[in-house]
Amino acid sequence: MKEFKHFNAYSVDEAVSLLKRYGDRACLIAGGTDILGKMKDAILPTYPEALVNLKTIPGLSSISKSNGALKIGALTTLSEIAHSDLVRAHAPALAQAACRTASPHIRNMGTIGGNICQDIRCWYYRNQNNRFSCLRKKGGRCYAIKGDNRYHSIFGGSVSGGCFAVHPSDTAPALVALDAKIVTSSRTIDAENFFEVKPIRTTVLAPDEIVTEIQVPTPAGTAKSAFLKFALRQSIDFPIVNCAAMITFKDDKVDAARICLNAVHVIPYRAVQAEKAIIGQKINEALAEEAGKAAVSGAKPLEHNKYMVAVAKTMVKRAVLTCAGR
Amino acid sequence: MAEKSKKYVCPYCGEEFDAAEGLKGHVFKTHKGHGLPVSEGGIKLTVNKSEYTLKVKPNWTLYYLIHDVLGLTGSKQFCDRGACGSCAMIVDGKPVLSCMMLAAECDGKVIETVEGIAADGHPLIESYVINHAMQCGYCTPGFVVTSKALLDGNSDPTEEEIIEALAGNICRCGTYPQHIIAIKETAAKLRVEKSAGKGAK
Repeated sequence: MKEFKHFNAYSVDEAVSLLKRYGDRACLIAGGTDILGKMKDAILPTYPEALVNLKTIPGLSSISKSNGALKIGALTTLSEIAHSDLVRAHAPALAQAACRTASPHIRNMGTIGGNICQDIRCWYYRNQNNRFSCLRKKGGRCYAIKGDNRYHSIFGGSVSGGCFAVHPSDTAPALVALDAKIVTSSRTIDAENFFEVKPIRTTVLAPDEIVTEIQVPTPAGTAKSAFLKFALRQSIDFPIVNCAAMITFKDDKVDAARICLNAVHVIPYRAVQAEKAIIGQKINEALAEEAGKAAVSGAKPLEHNKYMVAVAKTMVKRAVLTCAGR
Repeated sequence: MAEKSKKYVCPYCGEEFDAAEGLKGHVFKTHKGHGLPVSEGGIKLTVNKSEYTLKVKPNWTLYYLIHDVLGLTGSKQFCDRGACGSCAMIVDGKPVLSCMMLAAECDGKVIETVEGIAADGHPLIESYVINHAMQCGYCTPGFVVTSKALLDGNSDPTEEEIIEALAGNICRCGTYPQHIIAIKETAAKLRVEKSAGKGAK
C-alpha cells in the first residue's frame, strides 16, 4: 500500500470533523476488509490521503432491545450479530444474513455498518490499477454491458448513470425486509432509502456522514423472517442472488409482507409485485411459485445473466415458504 | 510555501494551526478528557505473551509487522486480500486475518501466532503431524491458528462445527478431511488432560 495518514477517532464528532477537513481525500476504516482490499489493488483513480479509524470510538458496538426495536451499534461485528441471542430471537433474517457473509475470520473483523456501506464488486470496477475507468469512477461507460456480465444487474442499470454493478451486501436485503432504520451522525434513514448509485459511493450518505446505529423494529406477534443466499461457494463468497423476507400472518393468511432481493440490481431490490401476490392469501407451494414469478416479472437480463432470473425466482419462492414454516 | 507557515500540528488528530494559541484552543475544545496523546504510530501490543512497544507506519498491516518486522515467519501470506486464511492470527481471542488489519490499529491487542501455539506445547501440533493434515504445508499455520481458537471456546466440537470454523481457510492440496480428524483427536486429548488435572487437585 502507498503511504497515507492514519487517525484514530475517539468520538463520532471527531471523525466527522476529520471528514469535513479532508473531504473526498479521506476514507473511513472500521473492519477494514473492504477498504484495504481497494487500496491494495489501487482500483480508484485517486488514493486516499488519510484513513479515519472508527474502531476507537467507544459505545458503537453493542446490541440492545428497547422501545420495540433492536439497537445495533454500527461497529458491531457480523459474528457478534450472527451469535446474538437477541438478534436470533427478534430478527432471524438478519442473524442468518450475518452468518452467511464471507468467512468466519472476516465476520470477526467486518462490521454491520461497513457491510451496508461496502463498495461494489464489479470486476471491471475492481480491476487493479484503475484499468477500466468506468461510470462509477466518473469515467466514460459501463464495460459490463458489452463485456462479461454474468454477475450484473437483471433489473436494468442505474437511472442516472447506466452502471450495471449489483450491490453485494448480504445484510442489506435483510435490513430492508425487516424495515430497519439506519441512524447516522446527522439523521435517521429508512434502510429502503439508504442505497443509491453515485460515483465511488453506494449510499445516500453525505461525504462527512457516518453510520452510527442500526435500528430493527421487533413487531410483536406473528411476524416471521428468513434469509436465503445462493452463491457458488458455501463460504468466502459474495451472493449471486440473495433474498430476505418478513411476513406477518393473521389467521393463517398473509397480513403484510416485505420481500427484498439483492445482488440482482444496482441497489437492494424490493420485490413489491411478489408482496402483492401473497397478501391476504394462505401460503402454499403454488402461491409461493406465483410470488417468485411476480418478483422477476420486470426482469431485463443482459447477455450472460439470464440464469439469475431463474435463481431469483426460486429464492423468492423458498423465502416465502420458509417464512410459512414449510 | 503556504504549507511551511503551518507548523503547529495537533498531536491527537493532525489538524494544523498557524499559531500556538489556535492549537491550544483546539486541544482544549476538542480533545479535553482524551488523555495524553500517544506519539504518532506508537503502539503497545502483546505477541505470544511478550510485550512490545513499537513505532509503526500507517500502511503496515499486522501481518507485515509480525512477519517482516518482528520476524515471526510462521504465518504465511498468500492472497493478501482476506480470501484465503493463511495469514490467520488470534487477536483478543478471535481468529482474524492479519493481512487485512492495520498494525496502527492493534494498540493494546493480545496476539497469538502459530509460534506461540507451538511454544506452549499445544497437542494440536502433534495431532497435525501424526494425521498428516498437510501436503505442501503453506496453509497449515492458518489452519492451526483457526483450530486453536475453535478449541479454546469449544472443548468437543462436532464435525459440522469444525467445518464451519475452518470455512475461511483454503488448502489447494485438499487436505480438508485430515483437519477434522486431527482436531477431534486433539479435543479428546485436551479433555483427558483437563479431567486428569482436576483429578490431581
